[in-house]
Amino acid sequence: MIRKLGILAAAALAGAILAIPQPSAAQGTLRVCADPDYMPYSDRAREGFENKVAQAVAGYLGEKVSYTWFSMRNTPGGFHTSGGFDEFIHETLRSGKCDVVVDVPYSNQDLLTTQPYYVSSYVFVFDKARGYDIESLDSPALRDLKIGFETETPPEQGLIIRHIRLGNVPFDVGGTQGQSPAVMLDALRNGQIQVAITWEPAVGYFLRNSAYSRLAVVPLPNSRGRGAPEQYIFPMAMGVRPGDTALQKRLNAVITTHQAQLVSILSEFGVKLYHPNINPY
Amino acid sequence: MKVKRLWLWVVAIFGCAFVLPSIARTDDLSSLSQDSNQWVLPSLNYANTRYSKLDQINTDNAKDLKVAWTMSTGALRGHEGQPLVVGDTLYFQSAYPNHVFAVDLNDYHTKWQYTPRQDEFAVAVACCDLVNRGVGYASGKIIEDALDGSIIALDAATGHVLWKAKNADPKLGQTVTSAPLIVHNKVIVGISGGEFGVRGSLTAYDLNTGKRVWRAYSMGPDSDVLIGPHFTGPHNAGINTWRGDDWKLGGGTTWGWYSYDPNLNLLYYGTGNPGTWNPSQRPGDNKWSMTIFARNPDTGQAVWAYQMTPHDAWDYDGVNEMILANLTVSPGDPTPGLVHFDRNGFAYELDRRTGKLLLAKPYDPSVNWATRIGSDGRPVVDPKYMTKAGVNVKNICPAAMGNKDEQPASYDEQTGMFIVPTNHNCMDYQAFAVKYKAGFPYVGATLLMYAGPGGYRGAVIAWDPSKGEIVWSDHERFPAWSGVLSTAGGVAFYGTMDGWFKAIDAKTGSLLYKFKVPSGIIGNPMTFMHDGKQYVAVLTGVGGWAAIGLAAGLNEPTAGLGAVNAAQDLKNYTNLGGTLMVFSL
Repeated sequence: MIRKLGILAAAALAGAILAIPQPSAAQGTLRVCADPDYMPYSDRAREGFENKVAQAVAGYLGEKVSYTWFSMRNTPGGFHTSGGFDEFIHETLRSGKCDVVVDVPYSNQDLLTTQPYYVSSYVFVFDKARGYDIESLDSPALRDLKIGFETETPPEQGLIIRHIRLGNVPFDVGGTQGQSPAVMLDALRNGQIQVAITWEPAVGYFLRNSAYSRLAVVPLPNSRGRGAPEQYIFPMAMGVRPGDTALQKRLNAVITTHQAQLVSILSEFGVKLYHPNINPY
Repeated sequence: MKVKRLWLWVVAIFGCAFVLPSIARTDDLSSLSQDSNQWVLPSLNYANTRYSKLDQINTDNAKDLKVAWTMSTGALRGHEGQPLVVGDTLYFQSAYPNHVFAVDLNDYHTKWQYTPRQDEFAVAVACCDLVNRGVGYASGKIIEDALDGSIIALDAATGHVLWKAKNADPKLGQTVTSAPLIVHNKVIVGISGGEFGVRGSLTAYDLNTGKRVWRAYSMGPDSDVLIGPHFTGPHNAGINTWRGDDWKLGGGTTWGWYSYDPNLNLLYYGTGNPGTWNPSQRPGDNKWSMTIFARNPDTGQAVWAYQMTPHDAWDYDGVNEMILANLTVSPGDPTPGLVHFDRNGFAYELDRRTGKLLLAKPYDPSVNWATRIGSDGRPVVDPKYMTKAGVNVKNICPAAMGNKDEQPASYDEQTGMFIVPTNHNCMDYQAFAVKYKAGFPYVGATLLMYAGPGGYRGAVIAWDPSKGEIVWSDHERFPAWSGVLSTAGGVAFYGTMDGWFKAIDAKTGSLLYKFKVPSGIIGNPMTFMHDGKQYVAVLTGVGGWAAIGLAAGLNEPTAGLGAVNAAQDLKNYTNLGGTLMVFSL
């Protein structure tokens, strides 16, 4: 009992320490938290779009970039958290080792986010030649197709509430260290699935490769057709520690003045900005 | 120096002379809206009664109604608004792309037509179809609210653009679907986008210049909510009923109808659901989401506020219309009342001077999420129906779209009854976390809606405000998602989603006339006189949340849940497409 209390007290103390605002970045350095092995987002060679965006942002701030590397796709079981993005944040941003995560959904609850600097969407990817008539999760054509989807994402929920499940193939790219988002495209090519549903920025980079030139990409529209809002289109922002409004402000200023440049970096990585003309349901 | 000062005086005097007549003319909206031959405000009058004194069409001759003329709106999406008639001209706005037409009632020619250039991104973020609820009119100007948040003043005579303002940024999920209300030279405009964490606000623009006069947020510091010393409620609740900075994405959008009491000089409206759908993630009352606000229209300052659904866990937006009527809930004590049929299934009757609750009773027999509204004004929630992250809570009534959504009721002055178009759906609701899986954004809540007990999905009811009871109820196959018009002829009008335009006896609800129109009706019937003849007009063009939900949802197996029409589909009854239908004897 006493021992348990001790642990609780230690945890509470740790919490209190962590809650103390961390000293801001070393002067003249943008301290970025990133994954060392998750292309096209980021890698240790700084080849991902998060790396390029960070470089550009630091340039506009007149600063250098430094990195704290930690896998966002760590396997669960760590002391503090259940792994994944939670543990990544815990070990990097929250521990004060670095100050910014370059690519997070706007309004993410665990971080203080900047204003969004781009908007993209979950997409259907399929062989153009098949000519499937797919515009949304309500398209009847989907019911006859083998669908590959990423687990624990909005499209998975969308499939479940429509009872479109039989024979579908789950992927867990976002939870598997070392796995490339291109695995879903390969599954399309080898016929394991007929339609892939994934986050466009995860695959846009690979889709530029001629090996995938036969693939069509159709965004999933947001929907409230089933009652609850279903969101597939997300504004993306940068994340800082809750309370770090100083850095948030500086980043917002960069986004306001240089959004076009940031977006052009993204487009070099095949990140499609959400096309506004699609049917909303 | 002297010359310069003199010049300033001349400008000032000239400016005043220029402005004064138009002030007089907008204040005229109060009296102009008393003229039943015209229909100059979205809900006919500031009290939002939708009760017209016209009586040429009555319970005896309504069976002889016929179609007088029709016109395509040129748009396919949901038409939730109503035309206006000012003098000899009928004005209406279509669903997106929001065409506005001015039609000459003498020969039905189009005097002018205007379609705004819009930020197409709005299409992607609009929540529940690309609906619109109509234009506003004042001082020779037609005010259009476009989906992308453009507020456009058009010369009512020519359709020329006089000014434009921007009330929303679609890139942040903000859109505008509501009809503006003009009070004292102020164009009152709301905002949509609660599902994107938009922090809702109500904004007033100057009728003559389009300059913003005030903006009142639904949550945040008192200075943002425009809460000052005269506010009768708690201070800073817009922050301290939230965890941390959650109020910044607090929702509380304002896309319903607005009403106004010229004697009290108070503007009334409701706010929508709080931001992030998962209630576990936003502990607290989340004020002032789900709230009826009374504000001074000149300054925006809040006078009172009443929150109907603290800590919403069901998506019961509080935006439905406020109808101003004199009530006698306690015998011998007539009170200037405000009546509001909320999404949460309760009819709220308040003293509109103070916001004091007079009566709150369910207006649909299926309501179960709360057993009653307590004497403190808070719902007594049945814990069985409290939604939680990760738990699928079943058989919650009403469903998220409420026992009524934006479709406006009428206050039938002759019978003293409210005639209310209602929904009769229940739901299973599973709330999920807002998370981020590495590389994959995630937010979501799943929800399954189905017909409520009895198997019908909607009804038009008569509501006795003094007793808080249903007097009669006409069941409908689908949610009754059109507004209701009451008239001194004893006839009430509404439309159905499966495409029937209906005239009923306001006293009994019995059907007098019906006509099958080109598309289902979610718009609001209105009436006017022209050349000695009474006309009833309605925009048809099905869509909106209910139509999307039904068109898709009816394919699902709902066996065992009491859904009689589970195998049927709205598509078997009607089709998309906007048409203005005008009826007369």
